[in-house]
Amino acid sequence: MTEYWKSLNEPSSEQDEFPELLQIGSHGFGRRGFLKAAGFSFAGAMLAGCSRAPVEKAIPHLNKPEEITPGVAYHYASTCGACSAGCGLLVKVRDGRPVKLEGNPQHALSRGALCAVGQASILGLYDSLRLKSPLRGGTQAGWEEVDREITAELDAFRRDRKAVRFLSPAILSPTLRHMIDRFLQGFPGARHVVYDPLSCSAILDAHQATHGARVLPHYRFERAEVIAGFDADFLGTWISPVEFTAGYAAGRSLEGEPARFSYHIQFEPRLSITGSKADRRIRVAPSELETVVAHLAALIAMKAGAALDLGPLGPPPAPLEPLADRLWNARGRSLVVSGSQDVTTQVLVNYLNHTLGNYGATLDLDRPSAQRQGNDRQLEGLIGELREGQVAALFVYGVNPVYDLPDGEALARAIQKVPLAVSFAERLDETASVSRYVCPDHHYLESWGDAEPVSGVLSLTQPVIRPLGDTRSVLESLAAWQGIRKSAYDLSRESWQASVFPRQTQEKSFQTWSDKAVHDGCVEVAPARTAIRPFSMVAVERKPPARAAFELVLYPKAGMLDGRHAYNPWLQELPDPITKVTWDNYACLSPTAAANLGVSDGDVVRLEARGKTLELPALIQPGQHDRVVAIALGYGRKETQRFAKIGPAWLHRRLSVGEDGYVGKAASPLLAFSGSTLRYSAVCDKIGKTGRRQELAATQHHHNIHVPKELGGERRPVIEERTLEEARRRGPETGHAADLWPPDHAVPGQRWGMAIDLTACTGCSACVIACQVENNVPVVGKDEVRRQREMHWIRLDRYYSGEGDSLTVAHQPMLCQHCEHAPCETVCPVLATVHSADGLNQQVYNRCVGTRYCANNCPYKVRRFNWFDYPHEDKLQNMVLNPDVTVRSRGVMEKCSFCIQRIQEARIEARRRGEEIEDGDIRTACQQTCPAGAIVFGDMNDPESRISKLLESPRRYHVLEDLNVLPSIGYLALVRNRDT
Amino acid sequence: MNQRVVTWVLVVGLGFSFFMLFGKVGAFRLPGNQQGYEPVQPIAYSHRLHAGELQIACLYCHSGAELSRHAGIPSANICMNCHKFVTATLGAMHAEDDVAQKEKRPPRRLVSSELQKLYDALGLNENLERDPAKEQKPVAWVRIHKLPDFAYFDHRAHVGVGVECQQCHGQVTTMERMRQAEDLSMGWCVNCHRDVNRTGVAGKPVQASIDCQTCHY
Repeated sequence: MTEYWKSLNEPSSEQDEFPELLQIGSHGFGRRGFLKAAGFSFAGAMLAGCSRAPVEKAIPHLNKPEEITPGVAYHYASTCGACSAGCGLLVKVRDGRPVKLEGNPQHALSRGALCAVGQASILGLYDSLRLKSPLRGGTQAGWEEVDREITAELDAFRRDRKAVRFLSPAILSPTLRHMIDRFLQGFPGARHVVYDPLSCSAILDAHQATHGARVLPHYRFERAEVIAGFDADFLGTWISPVEFTAGYAAGRSLEGEPARFSYHIQFEPRLSITGSKADRRIRVAPSELETVVAHLAALIAMKAGAALDLGPLGPPPAPLEPLADRLWNARGRSLVVSGSQDVTTQVLVNYLNHTLGNYGATLDLDRPSAQRQGNDRQLEGLIGELREGQVAALFVYGVNPVYDLPDGEALARAIQKVPLAVSFAERLDETASVSRYVCPDHHYLESWGDAEPVSGVLSLTQPVIRPLGDTRSVLESLAAWQGIRKSAYDLSRESWQASVFPRQTQEKSFQTWSDKAVHDGCVEVAPARTAIRPFSMVAVERKPPARAAFELVLYPKAGMLDGRHAYNPWLQELPDPITKVTWDNYACLSPTAAANLGVSDGDVVRLEARGKTLELPALIQPGQHDRVVAIALGYGRKETQRFAKIGPAWLHRRLSVGEDGYVGKAASPLLAFSGSTLRYSAVCDKIGKTGRRQELAATQHHHNIHVPKELGGERRPVIEERTLEEARRRGPETGHAADLWPPDHAVPGQRWGMAIDLTACTGCSACVIACQVENNVPVVGKDEVRRQREMHWIRLDRYYSGEGDSLTVAHQPMLCQHCEHAPCETVCPVLATVHSADGLNQQVYNRCVGTRYCANNCPYKVRRFNWFDYPHEDKLQNMVLNPDVTVRSRGVMEKCSFCIQRIQEARIEARRRGEEIEDGDIRTACQQTCPAGAIVFGDMNDPESRISKLLESPRRYHVLEDLNVLPSIGYLALVRNRDT
Repeated sequence: MNQRVVTWVLVVGLGFSFFMLFGKVGAFRLPGNQQGYEPVQPIAYSHRLHAGELQIACLYCHSGAELSRHAGIPSANICMNCHKFVTATLGAMHAEDDVAQKEKRPPRRLVSSELQKLYDALGLNENLERDPAKEQKPVAWVRIHKLPDFAYFDHRAHVGVGVECQQCHGQVTTMERMRQAEDLSMGWCVNCHRDVNRTGVAGKPVQASIDCQTCHY
């Protein structure tokens, strides 16, 4: 069996789950003290008993809408606005407030799943620092005066034929695109410049060259049998990770009919989520990537008998023949993707996909994706215009160029000089604070809208709450400045009637069609026509790679992306799926590189690139290229100042922000434009130790499930891994361990259990946030994470095995196993954790006195202790709390409940209707959101249920099975498509 | 001498304390026990009149009990189903009818002071039509039956199997002002759950769970 380990410097002595000793006993808490305290608390209880509870008002509706019953949760279909992937949502609304986002199973792309960022984006709605009214010159203003002034200025610019520019990210909404076009038409020479903060401009440029249209293909991972990824983190952060993960998992399913299993090879400089799932992973420096692709293209060209002039190639950095064979044998069923921002590389990728016959099969150009539309060349042009002061009016929507782009300070000065700079930002971000006017847009849950992420897939957005502040939809703002006083609802409907409704033939009446579309949230219509030429290869211009001692890679981190959600404490505290660090960014170095530099974890290093310096703590990352230093984008945002004092207030508290008041450091100054695209890699001129240290809040050593040192200290086999061949060959396992315990608690009705497929799980951590939202899990802050006090009920354990190119990674969601012979239950002195009749291990908060015996006795280390009353002072933010789950108080143990509130709801609802609970009626929050479908919950007593079938799989094993605690969670062994 | 006084004072004090304690033994409550709570409501609504004398079904107003965890307090528009026409007590309206007949004039609309509060909440004018000049303000009732935040009770599960409303809410049909009849303690809940597993509810067998997580999650 493969031996897995968690990190390079695992603590030599086993860390206790509760490392800090209580100071009781040092001064002696004697009998008298005890009696005093007891007497006082008794008197307090008596006094409390003699008073009535505070008077509470119950305020009913005046006129109750017929379709609403107070206390019942309703789900409304909408579209996620957290990034430009356009996933479908079902918004759970309880008593007028949205409390949870779920994936919309009817959505053609996301298929019922949602990522961590999407799950967390509901907190943005209840953000008390969101702008509540328009601003003029930084002070509050009314919409009328702002409108009057802006229109007056615009009229002047129109007369004087001054330059008007609109800056936005890829806009998925056809209505908004149309509105921007209409708005800009009024100004001669006005331009709409699009840039994506996580740019894929090179892919679009390459398609412009080879296919004559600047489009992004719609990648179909579910159709691919061989996937070659070149630094494209498509399971983590690249373009549309939820959809890609679902497709990827569908192509690697041993339980599916028929069973399929794709082969995935990943070439990358740093360890990404995607690389961690690959069957074979090869480390390449960013500068070598183009050479590798060129070699592969040459090999495939040779097989196809086509001529391809690539100039001198040099020796291949990695053996590529086996991959070329595999790709060639899977023609039309393979897929080559690259996240490179080098147009030459992308042209070669297009050549590969074309020669392999993948266009029309695994890449769809007839229904292209709109999820990236950015044009870095135009952006560069706009920055030039701004610097030279040629722009009279700049409208910034959905992006934050002052933060996102290199040379932000110069850009900020340039924007300050623009006579009419208008930002539509929801918060006072870096760009909004230098804009003369801020006209805040609604949160996406407050507004009408639409999205067409992939041509022909229209996803609709409907408001689920009345706007909380005096904000206005960007549609309405743009209309108002054209003299049109219409609501976003009317504008959207007009646009659907004019340009979407005619693209379908099933429904005759627009009203019926739109009612159904809004209800379902997603409709498929005929794709818009794009003129695409057949593939024609263009001459590629290859530059010799600049070899350097160190190369810099700037990458988006799962959860944080480009930093647009930096205000969100859930995402800040989400451990990175690979490094397990929270609340910070850092410089990742390979173990070899770190040894050469004499750097260890937490040593602050200074690095210089492109004439800029940056100081960050180092983090030693196995699986990284030895000549690469990788830094996450999205940190050092202005909005993270608010986190200084997050978490419980107590004597030893340390701040959650750095010396500059921000969480992490901004890496965007190190970006640069080169060859018409924004580059995320660069030559690192200098790197060295500063001698200072900064402790990172990493969770990777927390909650270890190794044998304690005094009992031997050996690693336990918690991950089972098989090769594809073994997994296919191995028959069902029979025989169970002998059981010394009498079967004294019969479970006659339902018996809840869970199956987790480690093959499907990518470690993306969507489940962690989904659980946090559903179960009111508090945020504890950086300092408390350092003290091992994070409260997440589900954690993603990440294990490594091997090193260098042969490093393999396993992700394992670890949550309460609801053991049948639960060790926690036998040690609780107050019976606060007991077994239920349906096989659940229950935690009763009102009984718990906080001895923590249960957590000490838990072999899986999944119990969390409330050290504090975590702050709930922000009344607005409290609106997001799930009313069906208790907010735990200090001194109480908590843990995964298998979403008991959902079980109870389904049970009561089934009983009310006089029906039985069907398999699949109850989906836990983690299961609901999982893009890979790795988690299945259900009734183990029902032989026909999906979970029963999965638990019969030959791949099924229990973690620490030898303890014979009989967990209710069965894991399905990790399978990789390789020989050893 | 001094000692005697002190002893007497102590004895009298002790006796007084015992007297106070036993005299109020019925009023002694454990923390959180709100049994007998009978607050004054913003509108002097009488359950005795509506549910007792007029025999309006509980679910007519508290329709949420079947559909939702909360039985709910009826919205003002439910009240208006009847009180659009019934604006005062029957006796007063009859008397006015008689006087009007005698005086050969159409009867005047009588509005009781309590119902006037309802009409004000809805922002209605003298003809019971919506007056846009008047502000609408929902009636803020004082909540009586309230469980602590760590206990989840669901009306659906109880009303659905046929538990009588009176079993937990007492003889509402006799209450002029609503009162909490039971103590709503955990022991009280669990006892009933245990009993009905033996006796059934309304002649039908039921499975009332006594697992902790039936209510605590």
